Amino acid sequence: MTTVKKYQNDVTPTWCPGCGDFSVLRSLQAAAARLNLDNHNLMTVSGIGCSGRISGYLKTYGFHSIHGRALPIAQGIKLTNPELTVIAMGGDGDGFAIGTNHTIHAMKRNIDITYIVMNNQIYGLTKGHTSPLSEKNFVTKSTPYGHIEDPLRPGLLALASGSGFVAQGFSAYQEQLIDIIIKAINHKGFSFINVFSPCVTFNKVNTYQWFREHLVNLDEDSDHDKTSFQNAMNKYIETGGLFTGILYENKQMEYHERLSKKHKTPIIYQNLDISESFDKLIEDFI
Amino acid sequence: MTNNITLMIGGTQGEGIVSTGNILIKTLSRLGYFTYGFRNFSSRIKGGHTNYIIEINTKEVLAYGDSLDILIAFDMESIEVNIDRLKEGGLVIYDSIINPENYFVRRDLGFLSFPFTDIAKKYGSCIMKNTSLLGLLGRLLNIHSQNIKDTVEETYKKKGQDILSKNFTVLDKTYEEPIENEEIKTRYNLNTSISEKRASMIGNEAIAFGALMAGCRFMAAYPITPASEIMEYLSEKLPDYGGIVLQTEDEIAAITMSLGSSYAGSRAMTASSGPGISLMMEGIGLAGMAEIPIVIVDVQRVGPSTGLPTKHEQSDIEFLYHGAHGEIPLIIVTPYSVEECFYQSIQAFNLAEKYQCPVIILSDLALGLSRQTIKSLDKNKITIDRGKIASGENLEETKLDFRRFDFTSDNISQRTLPGFLEGIHKVTGLEHSIIGTPNNYPDNRKKMMDKRLNKIRKLESQNNIDIFGTTNSSLLVLSIGSNYGIIKKVVEDYNLPVAYGAFKMIKPLPVKQLKELTEKYSKILIVENNARGQLASIIKQKLPCHDKFHNLLKYDGTPFKLAEIKSKIEEMI
Ligand SMILES: Cc1ncc(C[n+]2csc(CCOP(=O)(O)OP(=O)(O)O)c2C)c(N)n1
Ligand code: SF4
Ligand SMILES: [Mg+2]
Repeated sequence: MTTVKKYQNDVTPTWCPGCGDFSVLRSLQAAAARLNLDNHNLMTVSGIGCSGRISGYLKTYGFHSIHGRALPIAQGIKLTNPELTVIAMGGDGDGFAIGTNHTIHAMKRNIDITYIVMNNQIYGLTKGHTSPLSEKNFVTKSTPYGHIEDPLRPGLLALASGSGFVAQGFSAYQEQLIDIIIKAINHKGFSFINVFSPCVTFNKVNTYQWFREHLVNLDEDSDHDKTSFQNAMNKYIETGGLFTGILYENKQMEYHERLSKKHKTPIIYQNLDISESFDKLIEDFI
Repeated sequence: MTNNITLMIGGTQGEGIVSTGNILIKTLSRLGYFTYGFRNFSSRIKGGHTNYIIEINTKEVLAYGDSLDILIAFDMESIEVNIDRLKEGGLVIYDSIINPENYFVRRDLGFLSFPFTDIAKKYGSCIMKNTSLLGLLGRLLNIHSQNIKDTVEETYKKKGQDILSKNFTVLDKTYEEPIENEEIKTRYNLNTSISEKRASMIGNEAIAFGALMAGCRFMAAYPITPASEIMEYLSEKLPDYGGIVLQTEDEIAAITMSLGSSYAGSRAMTASSGPGISLMMEGIGLAGMAEIPIVIVDVQRVGPSTGLPTKHEQSDIEFLYHGAHGEIPLIIVTPYSVEECFYQSIQAFNLAEKYQCPVIILSDLALGLSRQTIKSLDKNKITIDRGKIASGENLEETKLDFRRFDFTSDNISQRTLPGFLEGIHKVTGLEHSIIGTPNNYPDNRKKMMDKRLNKIRKLESQNNIDIFGTTNSSLLVLSIGSNYGIIKKVVEDYNLPVAYGAFKMIKPLPVKQLKELTEKYSKILIVENNARGQLASIIKQKLPCHDKFHNLLKYDGTPFKLAEIKSKIEEMI
């Protein structure tokens, strides 16, 4: 049996003890193990933040990029070599502040990658600044009098942007998270997982305890029809976004399926030397 | 009979002047004539004055003359705005639906009224006045109507047989329409050219075509004037070769998506102009740090900010030369003709993969958008050198990660691509170890910086300035981009005894060659389209003898006139 060990490397994470990101890392490794993915065909791409370090902690190809840009890089990789399993990852600031534009368009574009947001509702790496997902009145170094804006609702934004797979996990519910990651990877198209991954150092409000008290589990909700867009919207509103499980899963045409038949052969295998076409191509200009 | 004509077609934007000019250029190029077309346009799509200047010559021409032989006007504004540009004795041809009587005071000029619109309406539709214009020009230049018909047919074949045959009738009727002035009928007849079917292209198409031939199979870009044609050409062609062009949400996505593609093993590119290149800067820095090959085209327009989007300038030189925070290996190639756009585009992909770094193709609006007849492109010069990509099968089995950033004698490390069994490594924009894991030890930091910066240093001693003209002169005129063509025309038309050179690469600056040139020539004039002499200032940073360098600058949004360059050269020799 493939074990988590296969995906571990010898780099020691720089995360604080107790950081929720450890569990996301382990869940991803466990999901990879259960899917028995080849290490060399697994590509992790991450942004900048405490969370962004994750791509350095797996025995896979790992691309730790720049703040907010994990998604375009991941999409470029997948479009070029669709045989890779591509996982993009990053923080809530990475995906919903500086990179929001890419998040929306990646969802709309529907390339077959999995996007895991390690959401701690704060900027961990900059040592505690507010995030677009921070609650109203949240006190941080940049909002010493309390944050006066309302938070963005990532699940609603994902639904509105056309993501065909929208789920939420919680670092403390590892089994469920592993299961969600497996389903997300298996989903053909863009899949989005918002993981509540507590920052034990800078977020003293949204703690493990707080989440345990507030989260409901959609897996236990027998009325929940995850194939219904309408129901997904309602469920999100009803729970105030405080749930774990798969909110929405509906297959849409994946980007490669929309491309013409000429794209059957991945770019990576295309023959680059087309000098025999030169005479034909120059004709357009004569 | 003549060897050379400068003509302008003027009218309202959106009425077909551009395609008319392009058909003329294509027709003449096929007959072996050389043409150069420069479009004056604004950001409006419809409405507003626009004009297309076309230089026609029996020999190679890369610029247009300062004054016009013929002005063809569809509306009064075209005459108002441009009449002063006509040569002594020039000809104004105007659509008979307008009445430019007020301008008849310029007695040296000839005025020819021609019923373009009337013929078009009678035998087709109003828009076919452009076809009628082509017919009249064909007559004046002494070109057979069939030659024009062939090009018209190819251009408009999608519009259906009915439209085509109407266009042909309009052409025939134009050829039959009486012209009273006998002298005009022969004055502009072109002498025969060396007959060869020549291609015509704009610089942007040449870059895109070069990229395709170089094996570029991925482009992510965001539309912008004057760079969009690169993406448009590849959007049409790449699917045939299994490649992908993707219009992104912004230029940040364009550069980073292209980087992802390149990292995964494609030859990838993006293209933009100043505003978009500004947004790409962090991504370009990542490419430098993470040693990812990438080709970025900057077709310069007037800045700063949105500037004059449809006007010409060369003011991104310093920005790109010094650009990206921190210090990265970066190569900037500078094609100076459409042919060079093709060759250098191919070279850019080879350089990017050889040196595993970003390569910028720095072009400008006048080069990118001017349609010109080109000399035949040599397909034997197309080479694809992918540099140090390891072969996936032959990698040794290793327990540790692959040493992607290993120190080597030439400072270039082997690349493995995701999917290679034994090639697993990390990539990061943080300073890193040889396996790509973050590493902040001072020793490693310094070694890695030196590795990255030194790997391209030897390019400084390559000859990357092409020199022409009278090389035993005391004056050398240097330029980049489209200015080469203008300087060439000045030197040739006026037989000026000077040497002139065009840069093919400005970063790394060809320091060795520049040193030799400063020893050989007593004066060096650097001609550029910006306000502060950006290229000159970069050169002066690297070379002593500042008193030898002189600058000719222009930054009003228009290319140099021949006279401006001529008088500066004459002042200096
Ligand atoms: C362009 C840019 N702006 C700012 C920063 C500084 N910065 C680094 S991480 C970060 C925010 C991190 O927050 P988040 O994405 O939520 O990740 P976390 O650390 O919480 O996991 C910021 C602002 C940067 N690296 N790059
Ligand atoms: S600061 Fe917060 S997010 Fe960052 S490692 Fe520590 S606990 Fe995790
Ligand atoms: Mg965060």
